[in-house]
Amino acid sequence: MPGATLRADQRQRYARHLALAEIGVSGQQTLLRSSVLIVGVGALGSPAALYLAAAGVGTIGLADHDSVRLSNLQRQVVHSMDGLNRAKVEGASRTLHGLNPDISLEAIEATVDERNAMDLLGRFDVIVDGTDSFRARYLLSDAAYLLRKPLVHGSIFRVEGQVTVFVPGRGCYRCLYPQPPPPGVIEDSEEAGVFAPLPGIIGTIQAAETIKLLTGTGEGLVNRVLLHDTMAMSFREVRYRRNPSCPLCGDRPRIHSLVDYGAFTGAEAAR
Amino acid sequence: MIDAARHHRQRILDEVGESGQQRLARASVAIVGIGGLGSPVALYLAAAGVGRLGLFDDQRVERSNLNRQILFEDRDLGRPKVQAAAERLRRLDPTLRIDARSETIRASNVAGLFMEHDVVVDGTDSFETKFLLNDAAILTGKPLIHGAVLQWSGQALTVMNGGPCLRCLFYDPPDAGVIQTCEEAGVIGAATGVIGSVQAEEVLKILLEVGEPLRGRIFQHDGLRGETRVIAFPRDPKCPVCSRQPRITDLSRYEEQVSPRGYVQR
Repeated sequence: MPGATLRADQRQRYARHLALAEIGVSGQQTLLRSSVLIVGVGALGSPAALYLAAAGVGTIGLADHDSVRLSNLQRQVVHSMDGLNRAKVEGASRTLHGLNPDISLEAIEATVDERNAMDLLGRFDVIVDGTDSFRARYLLSDAAYLLRKPLVHGSIFRVEGQVTVFVPGRGCYRCLYPQPPPPGVIEDSEEAGVFAPLPGIIGTIQAAETIKLLTGTGEGLVNRVLLHDTMAMSFREVRYRRNPSCPLCGDRPRIHSLVDYGAFTGAEAAR
Repeated sequence: MIDAARHHRQRILDEVGESGQQRLARASVAIVGIGGLGSPVALYLAAAGVGRLGLFDDQRVERSNLNRQILFEDRDLGRPKVQAAAERLRRLDPTLRIDARSETIRASNVAGLFMEHDVVVDGTDSFETKFLLNDAAILTGKPLIHGAVLQWSGQALTVMNGGPCLRCLFYDPPDAGVIQTCEEAGVIGAATGVIGSVQAEEVLKILLEVGEPLRGRIFQHDGLRGETRVIAFPRDPKCPVCSRQPRITDLSRYEEQVSPRGYVQR
């Protein structure tokens, strides 16, 4: 909307953004008109949602089928005791609305799966992967590519994490990991420990990357994956390219619609 | 055992274990400045199970804080930050012991701050306080986790007994007006989230005595370019506080040795 201005309360709330050359009034208006879907409102989704809400992303979709358990509160900082045993998307919406009543929140209490992914992802500008299974990661990456939507990937394991951005045509999760690990080789995330602040770093970088994608500013973590080791306090960047023989985004793609991700990752067999 | 369930996913880490989790429960950490950095630091230390948190800040919540200070809500506008923060942290874990103090840290009370806590976290936005905390860490021998943020970027480092320290890298604070403030130049919330989370990791590693802290190394993050690195730095043999011939020697004589703006007196 050319010539549109911000309200007085918005000028106060976003004052530190208005001072940034890369955002300013027009960038803030872009953020307010944007929509982001966060899939998984747990360890990674918590900081990603908090910082995207604080930044004034106008519509945030939160998708998660789970309810809040006590053991989540060791790292899932968007939740609190009053949300215990209630839907994660509900508790998170309440926290985010309290932080920024200026934005719209869509609570989607559902598992994102083969049946609903295309419809769901299709309604948002950017997708943030806050899930914790290979099945969901391949599903989101395929769906985002098929819809030509950018996907901000993050994952954590014990004391290590990684983050990268998949822009359609410049590589996808399959280019980085052509095959899922054999079932049982990497323990189910429910069994693995997590160092509390680790998802804070990875999820927050996912938020920053999302803001850059939405406002078209800076250099995204595209074609590079940032690897963090908390104990060594090391950060390493590994470059990767679109794989020309990738079955999804390669030169001769074989995947033109979503497949059965339970079968592909062996998640079904392992159950 | 309700508490066993709460920290289960952390207790099963080799680096933590049952004894590590108990060590965190007995620990006390001071967070100076409950703003952009202090928000994620406090949330993650509370979530991780640090038993006692001292929150120090003399400001009230303003609407312009809310683009990054994720501890607060709209309904907290005008309230003392430490009070609003304490309530939010108790909603996360009601068993936390929180000491909320609406006070400014000065040379006259900084020694007590370090004596009462196992680790101190710098979440302030003033150079004078950052250098005061650095000097107090060296003079008391207690660990300090430094952090600073501006626009899309930030840094963190850990000062431990014997140094190296912030003054090995920067002898004095920058001259007035050379570096803009967040108010003038802006700041993105996610930058404070990255630095604050790194600070929280450092605190936990020091309390647990695991991993490699950022001692003699500085973490630098440029969120706009997506660049993150850790650079080693040596102790400055002429450092005014952590070298063998220090000029800053005594917190009770701090005003004689350091100017109100943090410069070493010549």
